[in-house]
This record gives sequence, structure tokens and C-alpha cells, in this order.
Amino acid sequence: MEIMTSNTETIPGFKITKSLGVATGSTVRAKHIGKDILAGLKNIVGGELKAYTELLMEARTEALGRMMMDGAQRGANAVVNVRFATSSVAGGAAELFAYGTAVIVEQE
Amino acid sequence: MYEVDGTGALLVLFLIVIVSIFALFFPLAFIYSMLFGGLHQSSHQKKLLVREKRVAQLVGGDNIHTLSRPINLENISQCGLVMTNITVAPSWWQLFIGQIKSIFGGQIQSFDKVLTYGRAEVMQRLREQALGEGWSEVINVRVETSMVMNKVKGGQQNKLGTLEFVAYGTGIR
Repeated sequence: MEIMTSNTETIPGFKITKSLGVATGSTVRAKHIGKDILAGLKNIVGGELKAYTELLMEARTEALGRMMMDGAQRGANAVVNVRFATSSVAGGAAELFAYGTAVIVEQE
Repeated sequence: MYEVDGTGALLVLFLIVIVSIFALFFPLAFIYSMLFGGLHQSSHQKKLLVREKRVAQLVGGDNIHTLSRPINLENISQCGLVMTNITVAPSWWQLFIGQIKSIFGGQIQSFDKVLTYGRAEVMQRLREQALGEGWSEVINVRVETSMVMNKVKGGQQNKLGTLEFVAYGTGIR
């Protein structure tokens, strides 16, 4: 069964019947040095740095996936009010964190 | 007298080449940045405008908004998070100009341009991703700025000025 995710407090058209606590997911990623140097070269003309964009997107998707797994383990069929947080850990690593409320919803 | 044999001469030549590459690379890169940075960025901006027009024609307006309730849709069967990001950085030349301008303060147009482009691009990507994944509307859109890559080096500010924009919202259909 697919878990629905939403960053609104309620899912429009659905009714929340039960709350199952906070579902969380996080991942810590570091960039590798080759990409870092290439990004520095790309930086000469400015604009988008594709290597970083992809790295961070990958990490966010992973964090979101872990959050949904956590929600599924709690027996939820939706995670509402999802938020993202980022923090930097020492040594060139970044932590990406996703959290939301695991709930059971029913179609109205 | 000191005599230079074949391998010694080769080594000296090699060293000269390495040193001159390092000595020439930075000034040349800086000049390249000054001449072509603006062109490179404005070409991306033009492409973005074309894409924006195409999506606006396709949807007949805008398919993303910041309200927490759907505007047009009545019966919703499914929803899911839609999320896009972009990492942008000013060019070397823009960084240089920005540093000089920040001595006197005031508006720094060179950074302005990059940030405006980044925000517009990330919203456009959200529209395109929503279309691609088949969501008819994206509600409660938020645009966040994170400086993950900026702060990583032991609490010191990274000099590159890299910024990440994230746009996310709830897609419904």
C-alpha cells in the first residue's frame, strides 16, 4: 500500500481518524572531493552547480523514504505536515532530516 | 661546470610547465569569468522564460499555489509530496564585485541576479515535475533556502557563496 505524504495539516478530502506519533527519517551525506573540485571549476561562470543539486536531492529523497518507512511500521497510511530540516555536521557532511505526523486517514 | 643531462632537462621543463599552469590558470579563469559569466547566466535565464511560457499555456495559468486548500479540485483521490531543488553560486567575477561593493554597503546587484534566477528556476522545476508526475494542482508550496554547503568547513564560511533552494508542496489529483 502506498503511503500518502502531504505538507498540509490535513489532507483535503480525507478525514484523520487516528494519530500514530511522529515519523522521522534522516541521512548524513558528504560530498566527495572530485565533485568538489569540479564544482569549483563550474563556479567560474556561476549559475547552477549540478553536482551539488543532485547530491542534495538524492539525500532528501532518501530521508523522505526512511520517514515513510517509519510511518509504515507504525501502521499509518499517510504522513501529514511533513517538514524538512538541514544541519551541517563537522567534516564536510550534511544531515538532512524529514519528519511528519503518521496518521490513518479515511476518504470522506 | 654543472652538466644537464636528458632526464634533468625534462624534469626542469616539466616543473616550468606545472608552475606556469598554476600561475596562469587563476588570472585566465578570472578573465573568462568576467567575459562569459554574464552571457552564460543570461542564456539560462532566457531558456527559463521560454519554459515558463510553455507551462503557462499548457495549464492555462499556474498549477502551484501557497494556499492550504485546493482551488479548483473537488474530489481528491490521492496526494503526495512534490519536491525540487537547485544549487546556485555567483561567478568569480560577481563574487569579486560583491566583495568590493560590500565595503560601501547598499544593494549588490550581482548577487541579486543569481538569487532571483535560482528562486524562479526552482519554482519552474516544481511546475514541470508536477506536470510530469500527473498532479493536477500543487498546494501549500514553500520555498526554503538552506546553506548546507556553505557552513561545512569546520564552522567557517565557504568562500564560494553556494546556496541551495528547495521548493516543495503537496500534489493532489
